[in-house]
Amino acid sequence: MSEGREAAAASRHSYELEETGFNEVPKKWRKFYRYWGGIDDILAPNEVVCPVCKVVIRSKRKLRPGDKVYCMPCMSRMVVVEGPDGRLEAEVIF
Amino acid sequence: MLLGDDEDFDPHLLDEDAFVGEVQTFEFWFGAVEGYLTGRPYGRSAATPEIELDDIRQDRLITTLCNYCVGETAALEGASGLVRLAPNHHAKVFMATQVVDEARHLEVFLRRLGDLGVTDTDAEIRKRANPALLDFKDSLLALVDGGEWDAAVFAQNVILESMEFTVFRSHAENADPITAEVLHGVISDERRHFGFGENDLGRRMAADPSRRPRLQEVKEQLDAIVLSVFEGALDDLEVPMADRPRLGQEYLETVERLGLT
Repeated sequence: MSEGREAAAASRHSYELEETGFNEVPKKWRKFYRYWGGIDDILAPNEVVCPVCKVVIRSKRKLRPGDKVYCMPCMSRMVVVEGPDGRLEAEVIF
Repeated sequence: MLLGDDEDFDPHLLDEDAFVGEVQTFEFWFGAVEGYLTGRPYGRSAATPEIELDDIRQDRLITTLCNYCVGETAALEGASGLVRLAPNHHAKVFMATQVVDEARHLEVFLRRLGDLGVTDTDAEIRKRANPALLDFKDSLLALVDGGEWDAAVFAQNVILESMEFTVFRSHAENADPITAEVLHGVISDERRHFGFGENDLGRRMAADPSRRPRLQEVKEQLDAIVLSVFEGALDDLEVPMADRPRLGQEYLETVERLGLT
């Protein structure tokens, strides 16, 4: 990681993740995902919904546009973008 | 030390090769299925109650399960053929895990048919199979036999798996408790299957856009069959017409992300 990226990462709000009952990946990765409750499910600033399999992806830090995240349950790689309504979304990158 | 054993490790910081090398493994698969299948022989726990279904509902469920068996057999035979065609070792290993998943799905649905009093499952499946689903199976296996990795993965992991994911979730919302529990275990497997399909094809088309026209052609050839299979499955499940466009949306979103609309 470059010095610039390290500094940017260090300045972000960080989150202590705990398991939420998601059980579709090996135990060590489970805290990074949770089941999505549908459109009424309010996402935290460190969360984004996988557009492929509709699981909530969780990060240890507040997400920002341009961040890369992985959905292990469906094996997708994504970039975080700001949606039309200002909320963060994930776009699949190949 | 294995990847992720460090408390501070963040999987989102992996590079793509390391990520693929982590998730397309039997080690990942063991850890994943352990989470939702342990303590559930044949996909259900001993405590889940069997409820009595009326004759009409039981007959519809038998038809639905017979067609699930056709779909799972197609995927089992397709995935096993695709192991040989897979373009790299990671894809071969992943496809081998999918073969195991599909065989398990077939097994649990056959078992459920047995619970419902079906003694000759082969004969019952022959009698009740949706002809459009049999056509789809023939088309998929022809692509596998023709050695077409991209087209066969599209038909199997994108079209068939997306359709199954949608139908199974819809069914699980209203099914009897045992069928619902069996379906939830299958749905968890399906995430890996259609995710692999979309991502493998997406990467291959990004690297070589000349692959896209053939997939577009296969999609157009299969569209009418897929629609007929989907409608048949939703009819069996008595899904209201008003809800059907919403259920087909996820498949449409997938083909749009792949640039195949």
